Amino acid sequence: MANAHPHAMAPAKPGKTRTAPPQRPPKFPTGGRYLAYTLFDWTGLIYLLLGFLVLKTIWTLGDGQAAWDAQIASFSHPAYIAFHILSFISVVFVGVRFFRLFPKAQPPRIGPAKPPPAPVILGMLYTVWIGATVLFGAILAGGIF
Amino acid sequence: MKHLLLKLEPFIWLMFGQGILLGTILLTGWLLVVNLGVPLGVVSDAGLEYERAHGLASTLIGKLVLAALCALPIWKGAHHMRHVFIDAGGGDRDAVIAPILYLIATVGTVLSILAVVRL
Repeated sequence: MANAHPHAMAPAKPGKTRTAPPQRPPKFPTGGRYLAYTLFDWTGLIYLLLGFLVLKTIWTLGDGQAAWDAQIASFSHPAYIAFHILSFISVVFVGVRFFRLFPKAQPPRIGPAKPPPAPVILGMLYTVWIGATVLFGAILAGGIF
Repeated sequence: MKHLLLKLEPFIWLMFGQGILLGTILLTGWLLVVNLGVPLGVVSDAGLEYERAHGLASTLIGKLVLAALCALPIWKGAHHMRHVFIDAGGGDRDAVIAPILYLIATVGTVLSILAVVRL
C-alpha cells in the first residue's frame, strides 16, 4: 500500500505564520486507527466497481431475456462470488462506520428539543437499514409483489 | 479547475453522501439476493425471472430505485478514490485526478439514467 504524501493537506499558498514542516503520521496508513480510515477510503474502489456492475446488470435487463438470464447465471462464477462477498463486507463496514458518526454529529439542541440519546439514534438508523434491506430483498426475491 | 471543483463541492458532497447512505442501504439487499443468495442457491431464482424483473423495473419507482442503486455508489466510490490518491500522492495531482474521477461518475450517472429509461 502506498504511503501518505507528507504535503497531502498543504495549502496552495504558504500562509504568513511560520509552521513546522508537515510530517506523515508514523502509523499511517495501516497502524492504529489509520487502518480503519484507510480501509474506509479503499471501499471507494469496491463501490465504484460495484456501481458499474449493477449498471451493467440493469443494462442487460433492457437487452432482453437471453442477456438477462446470462448475466444472472454469470454471478455463479467463483470470481464474482468472491468479489460480492468482499463487496458485502465492505458495504456493512461502510454502513456501520458511517452510522456511528450520526450521534456525534448532532447539534446540542434541535429547536426547543434536545437530540435523542446516541443509542436511540443508532437504533433508528439500524432499524431503517435492516428494514429497507428486508423489504428490498423480499421484493427482489419474489416474496412481495 | 480547482475553482470549479470548489463551486461543484455542494453537488459532489450531496452525491457522495447519498452514495454512502442510500447506496449502502440499497446495495445490502441487492448483494444479499441478486449477487449472493441466488448464485449460491440460498434464495430461489423465481423472483429474478425476466418477465417479473422487467415488469418491476419498468415502473417509475423501480426506475428511480435502480438508477439510484447504480449512480450513487459510483459517486461514493469516485470521491473516496480521490482521497486515496490525495493521501497517497499529495494534493499536487488533485486538479487532474479529481476531474477524471468525477467525469467517470458523471458518465456512470448518465448511463444509469439511460439504462432505466430504455427498460
